[in-house]
Amino acid sequence: MKLKTLVILLLLALLSSCMPTNIIDDILMVEAEGFDYIGHNQILGTATMPNYVQSGNPGGQGGGLPSTASMMRYVSGITYDGKSLVDKFQPEGQRPLKIGKVRVMLFDKKLAKHGMRDQIDFRNRDPDTPRDLTIAIVEGSTNKLLTAQDYQTQIPISRYVQDMIQQNNEQNYPTSNLSQFIYSYYGNYMDPFMPLIKKIGNHLEMTGIAIFKKDKYVMKVPNKDTFIFKMLFEKFNQGVYDFEFAPKKHIAIRNVHTTINYKVKDGNSSAPDIYAYVKINGQVRQAYVGSISKSRAYRVEKPLEKQMEQKASKLVRTFQKKGTDPLRLGDTVRSFTYNFDGKSWPERYQNAHFHCQVTVNISQTGISQ
Amino acid sequence: MKPGQISETQQLGPMSGFIIPHTMQISIGILSFQQLLSKDSGQDAWLACLIGGLFSLAIMWMILRLLKNEQKFGRADFFSIHQRLFGKWLGGLLNFFVTAHVVLFGVVFLRSYIEILQVWIFPQLSVFTFTILFCLIIWYIVLGGIRIVGGICMLSFIYMIPLYMSTVFAVPEAYFSNLLPMFEHSPASILISAFHTTHIYLGFELMLYFYPFIKRPQLAKKWCYFGILTSMYIYIILMLMATVFFSRGEMRLTIWPTVTFWKSVSFPLLEHVDMVIIIYYMWALLPSVSMSAWVASRFVKHTFPVIKQKYALVGVLLIFVIISVLIKNGEQVKIANDLYGNIGFFIVYAYVPFLLFYQWLMKKVRGKAA
Repeated sequence: MKLKTLVILLLLALLSSCMPTNIIDDILMVEAEGFDYIGHNQILGTATMPNYVQSGNPGGQGGGLPSTASMMRYVSGITYDGKSLVDKFQPEGQRPLKIGKVRVMLFDKKLAKHGMRDQIDFRNRDPDTPRDLTIAIVEGSTNKLLTAQDYQTQIPISRYVQDMIQQNNEQNYPTSNLSQFIYSYYGNYMDPFMPLIKKIGNHLEMTGIAIFKKDKYVMKVPNKDTFIFKMLFEKFNQGVYDFEFAPKKHIAIRNVHTTINYKVKDGNSSAPDIYAYVKINGQVRQAYVGSISKSRAYRVEKPLEKQMEQKASKLVRTFQKKGTDPLRLGDTVRSFTYNFDGKSWPERYQNAHFHCQVTVNISQTGISQ
Repeated sequence: MKPGQISETQQLGPMSGFIIPHTMQISIGILSFQQLLSKDSGQDAWLACLIGGLFSLAIMWMILRLLKNEQKFGRADFFSIHQRLFGKWLGGLLNFFVTAHVVLFGVVFLRSYIEILQVWIFPQLSVFTFTILFCLIIWYIVLGGIRIVGGICMLSFIYMIPLYMSTVFAVPEAYFSNLLPMFEHSPASILISAFHTTHIYLGFELMLYFYPFIKRPQLAKKWCYFGILTSMYIYIILMLMATVFFSRGEMRLTIWPTVTFWKSVSFPLLEHVDMVIIIYYMWALLPSVSMSAWVASRFVKHTFPVIKQKYALVGVLLIFVIISVLIKNGEQVKIANDLYGNIGFFIVYAYVPFLLFYQWLMKKVRGKAA
């Protein structure tokens, strides 16, 4: 019996099949992908890989030359849209390209205007792509952004972009990643958005939010309105709002807490009423000299509330005119309405009345009077 | 010792009434059931989970009743009940059919798991190699007898707890408004979804096979109900998790919502938690498949007492390997899953109540004759 078991166990060795391995030193990890639309359903794709070149370390392995020294930084080429860049670029890679740890995916504005249906379907189908992937629209060429050598920072561009977007997502920009995008894109009665970035000189900058209608780019929310957008989109606690209470006189308010509550009336009528109740708890950080003090803080609150309400209504009206719904108002109405009539919603959305009520509480005005 | 009684060294404690039915229920369906359920009843699908669980509680009561009534006639398991009520030949045939379903139970889970492995991690994985390796583990477990199978169930129960807890990662990204408006769907559509829950709740009926191996079965009774309630709780939580985490349109496209959810969980230095969990998930599979192999080999021993259980086991495992290899693609896996669910629905909701009724009838008829 023991012999038999031994024979079976030895036979097991024969069963070990030849699975491809993913040893970190033997693959090229794609960290960022860029897509530029060049017309006729063709894109210029760019993929970057991290460069593990270390400073020459005499006495290290391989006679001072690390084995990863010859790794390339990026590859680019033209393909039809919707194709995986990894498959396209494999002939150019000296090692297997793997997409399992991709951090950033960038699309240029032309591709966004052309429509990203194929790209999104591909991302949603691919089990290797992480879902907390950072995605963004680039004003200008993604190829130039990814391959430029003149950045101030030495860290790889993929990490630079990801850090910048994730940092801003905690502040004035609404949370955005692939998971969020797919949620809105496939969800009913809502439209997705992505942050917009741009290379200016030797650094990158967030320039606003790109709003989509289904899979097509329709408009941009500029940088100064992202606070309003985020305030209506989710609760957050690290934004900064710049309040211009009189021409050229500013007060910068850092919010400590912002909550948003929606109420809906007559969700199935031809013009539903949507009520948004925003509560902001903030602190004054900078102010025009003499404009504010502890005792006079309440005087700023009222005009600030009014300005925010106006801006919010204006923003929503723009969305309604364009027929896009990045704030997921349609889904909010659905959640408040039994037997929601989804078929006629696109028309009713444009007629919906949006009421916004902002309550500001300035809790502190700084350490000097 | 009464005839037909199992030696105490081979018996399980009363607590296994909780562990075994529960771990049998937790299997491959947990990864994908949300999509199927929300198709008909949308945000109210958790109600369907609740209804399905309550129905299986009722069936559990019937099963325990059936087995308890049977105890005074000898060994109280499915095989003996069939042979006592329907005679040697018809009973043997019925035994064959119910065992075929149990084999299907094991094979479907094994093959669905391989499909997930192929889709998510190893596209090149060979079904044949994997099933052979897996069946060797099963062979080793079942060779140790029912106590080892019970022990594996216990370990599986403990090992699965962290996976259920991973649902907390959905909370920061949850949209609880997805659950509103509540109770929007008609009772009919919720009942259709409740019918689809059969696939995930099936497994507790295996109680019919290993009941005589439980020591002091009267104590195991309450544990059996607890086991089903625990599964029900887990399924409701997972259903709620998927509802609040995915939008409706996204859910329609997602084949394995639970795995896709795990895909979006990430830790610093540990990304792709989904891959780790899928491999880890083999622990949920081991008890189901080994219990299925145990039941099938036991059927052979019961029907042909000449054949020893350990030799029958090799044949059963060969059947496992052959059927797994015969199922070629995802579509056939789905068909096998549907077949398993539908037959299981019939066995549990039609055949078991019928058997209970028939047993009562026979008692009346034979009682008068005697």
